[in-house]
Amino acid sequence: MSTTLKSEQYMEITGEEQIPPIMQRVRCGVVEGFSTVFKMIKFVLPLYIVVDMCKAYGLIDSLGTWCEPFMSLFGLPGATAFAFIAGALVNLYAAIAVLAPLDLTPWQVTQCGVMMGIAHNLVLEGGVLSSTGARGGVLTLFRILLAAIAGWLMLGMQVLGVAG
Amino acid sequence: MTIFLEACLGALMLCGKLVLIVVPLVVVFEVLRYAKVFRTLGSRTEPVMRGLGLGRSAVLPLFTGIFLGIAYGAGIIIRSAAAGQMSRRELFLTGLFLATCHAVIEDVLIFVVLGGDAVMMLGLRLTLAILLTALLARLWKPGDGSIKTEV
Repeated sequence: MSTTLKSEQYMEITGEEQIPPIMQRVRCGVVEGFSTVFKMIKFVLPLYIVVDMCKAYGLIDSLGTWCEPFMSLFGLPGATAFAFIAGALVNLYAAIAVLAPLDLTPWQVTQCGVMMGIAHNLVLEGGVLSSTGARGGVLTLFRILLAAIAGWLMLGMQVLGVAG
Repeated sequence: MTIFLEACLGALMLCGKLVLIVVPLVVVFEVLRYAKVFRTLGSRTEPVMRGLGLGRSAVLPLFTGIFLGIAYGAGIIIRSAAAGQMSRRELFLTGLFLATCHAVIEDVLIFVVLGGDAVMMLGLRLTLAILLTALLARLWKPGDGSIKTEV
């Protein structure tokens, strides 16, 4: 990400941006792409293995039934609760590592995507929002609330047959 | 032991999918981001920004946040905020928009890997962010500092 920040800074100072040659941009994209994937894999690889093994031993199913009443408010299986917790406290890479072994329908994945897209990495991002001078705490509560509303909205869409 | 090996295989396949989807898209983004359309985004989006109650000084932090995310875009967001060109109202409105809708490329990609619908995810988050920010901008008039906690 450092290259991106640099060019943005340059743009701020001079009002126009230096355009690197196309090959350099492609190379930059490959490097950025792989470093992004590397960041993901650090979370995804170990978590996927742990969750998949827990699932094979039936642990996920029995713990999932505990969360079933709450998650079924959104039409999601109980086991997805772990993904929401992982996503809220750590980040989305952790969340999909938990989701991947669960065999969800495409619509359920989309629904999780919208809900977790709104409310994830709450601790770190709440801190960043506060440091800009906006009200981080209020915004974080708002994100959780909005994720729930979006979840209901999408369940409604599915029930009404608008989508899914 | 077979359970462990199967888990490892599944994890490796997921990582492979991540590489196949994320790397090409980041390359495309890097190539396109210097295009004229992107560079003139500030003036082109001014009417929309005004509808959201935001001025030109909010363009850079907002778009950085939308594409890069709050964590990565933090440098730019914090710097723009510290430069003092944004009022508290603008800061909160920018924060509200970004809280709902940020790092869209990365977030959507992550769930596309698992089979999610990209258009639906992107569309819903953008719509929600625009609606809510525009609504609050109308409720909280410039110069009136008291309403924000009631939201």
